[in-house]
Amino acid sequence: MLKRSFIVSGTLHAVIIAAASFAWPHAFELSEEPSDIIPVELMTVADVTNVRPTVIEQPPEPPAPEALPPPEPPAPPPPSPEEVEIAPPEPEQKPEPPPEPPKQVVEAAKPPPKPPVPRQRPKPEPPQPQFSVDSVLALLDSRTPKPPAPPQAQVAETATKGLGAQNASTLDLRDALLSQIRDCWNVPVGAPTPEKLIVQVRVFLARDGSLAQPPLLEPQTRAAAASNPYMRTAAEAALRAVNVCEPYKLLPVDRYDSWREIVMTFDPSRMVGP
Amino acid sequence: MYLRHLLSTAKRRPFGRLLVLAAVAILGLEPSAYAALQVRVDQGVTEPIPIAIPDFIASPEGRDIASVVRADLERSGLFRSVNPASFIEKVADINVPPRFGDWRTIQAQGLVTGQTTMQPDGRLRVDFRLWDIFGESQMIGLQYTTTPENWRRIAHLVSDSIYERITGEKGYFDTRIVFISESGPALNRRKRLAVMDQDGANPVFLTQGDYLVLTPRFNPTAQMIAYMSYIQERPRVYLFDLETGRQEVLGNFPNMTFSPRFSPDGKSVVMALETNGNSDIYLMDLATRTSKRLTNDPAIDTAPSFSPDGQQITFESNRGGSQQIYVMNADGTAVRRISFGQGRSGTPVWSPRGDLIAFTRIGSDFHVGVMRPDGSGERLLTSGWQDEGPTWAPNGRVLMFTRTLESRGASGGGSQIWSVDITGRNERRVLSPGDASDPAWSPLIQ
Repeated sequence: MLKRSFIVSGTLHAVIIAAASFAWPHAFELSEEPSDIIPVELMTVADVTNVRPTVIEQPPEPPAPEALPPPEPPAPPPPSPEEVEIAPPEPEQKPEPPPEPPKQVVEAAKPPPKPPVPRQRPKPEPPQPQFSVDSVLALLDSRTPKPPAPPQAQVAETATKGLGAQNASTLDLRDALLSQIRDCWNVPVGAPTPEKLIVQVRVFLARDGSLAQPPLLEPQTRAAAASNPYMRTAAEAALRAVNVCEPYKLLPVDRYDSWREIVMTFDPSRMVGP
Repeated sequence: MYLRHLLSTAKRRPFGRLLVLAAVAILGLEPSAYAALQVRVDQGVTEPIPIAIPDFIASPEGRDIASVVRADLERSGLFRSVNPASFIEKVADINVPPRFGDWRTIQAQGLVTGQTTMQPDGRLRVDFRLWDIFGESQMIGLQYTTTPENWRRIAHLVSDSIYERITGEKGYFDTRIVFISESGPALNRRKRLAVMDQDGANPVFLTQGDYLVLTPRFNPTAQMIAYMSYIQERPRVYLFDLETGRQEVLGNFPNMTFSPRFSPDGKSVVMALETNGNSDIYLMDLATRTSKRLTNDPAIDTAPSFSPDGQQITFESNRGGSQQIYVMNADGTAVRRISFGQGRSGTPVWSPRGDLIAFTRIGSDFHVGVMRPDGSGERLLTSGWQDEGPTWAPNGRVLMFTRTLESRGASGGGSQIWSVDITGRNERRVLSPGDASDPAWSPLIQ
């Protein structure tokens, strides 16, 4: 019995040693097989395609489309000669500038160049004569349930949070607008510090892509333009760009609510040299 | 759920309704369904602004003035004059707002309307208005009165007003250029001091060409020119008074003086003085005619130029082994080198705006470039066989320089005056009578 065990054990050891002696050198050969090189290019694309799903809460009540009549701003009064003529005749004298006419370019509301398509606003809540808890509860019950966030997805906080926040619902709108406005914006590159002349303009569009009303400078830009002539020039260039580019095509009508009001930030820093 | 609990509580305790109302108001805040779409525009174009300038109403001078304004604005590279043949509205009265739609149709963004009136006293009155076509408003309206033969200057003033209103910077059209006019064969060039309007009109020769003249520079009132001349074989700095035509040597130095330039207040001249093969920079007070030495180095220091605030001076020197640009305080202290690019650098000129120093870069080719006063942000704007000697427009936005063409056999060669925008765009030749070199731009004429 013992002898038989020795024979079995010895045979197994011999088999293992033989197998190992055969496989060991081939193991190195296998490891030296050339592998295909797959080129990988690392790109930073977050600025452009940082798409995150957005969860947009449904409004408590779907806005009922209601046509509002366009505002009727007063027509700009034609400047009378008295307002602009100055400079008493003096031979070969550099005339004094006249009192500045009202700066309607940037501030005054004017009639839209085209009959504006009626803007749609959420229907205002009818005034409640008396507070009723039941009605509020009924309202809560009628709310569309909040759609669940996709599992394990990073959710953007809001659809439009600050500059550069990208989300799936507006990325294509931005691309469509940029592809058009970049050809209309004449960049004020000759100013002393053009990279600082950042201008924000609020644009109101009608459904057909025309301007529903003249574009407005955002308050910060308006304040800077009032004191800095270079800023005023930059602001006027931005307003010109918005006006010249009208009408805005390529914007999907079924998502009009996403682009009816736009804040465009004109930033020349990438367009100027060192 | 919390809200629901609150409301149920309120139902049971009516006195708590006010509190509940406030809670609903706070918790019920929804993000606006119409929050404005945010778009960052960081790409655009640099194209001239289309502007329509019909002939000013009712006189040959009106036609000429509009023509000069169109040429001025076009030459700046910032404007494009809309072809008058495409105009739909014929402006009949500049006191009536134009039909803006007609001008939008032909792609004009600005409109200049004007009229000329001959006054009973024989003088010419020029009124003009600049309209914003898209804003549908008047941007400026001005009136000038002058003698009829002075119409060209009025046209430049109109151009300056339009340029300033639209770009936010002072114009530079009512200015002159002093330069060296060259004529004759290469071995016997006749060099004369000359001045002309910035558009090449009204050239006047100030010297007869009997002596070599170089490096003319205006004083801040554009009434006096400092330059170097080889009168009686002695190269020295002279002053020329444009009002009187009188010229005088500046200082009584035994040796060569050259490369003069006025201080921003016009009260002194900074220049180079050569002694035994070495040149240093001196400041001369024009009232007392006393001079002060600013540099004291065995190397060659030359081509000084004041900063617009008068606090610093930039100059060129080979004290580091090769010709490079340096900056020092106006009293000669705190010298530091600012040019480090490839090749040599010279003829620095401080911008009237203060933000840049223009210079000549000498390598295999010649370039005119700009850099910040600390040496950063260097940009070469032009390239040529020999581009050199930049001079600033008074608004610090445009440069002129000398471009010498390579001589090919018997033909070619010669020097011309060119201009370029500080962005490197809009390179154009400045028309001049014959060959011209060494331009210096005047300040705005007072």
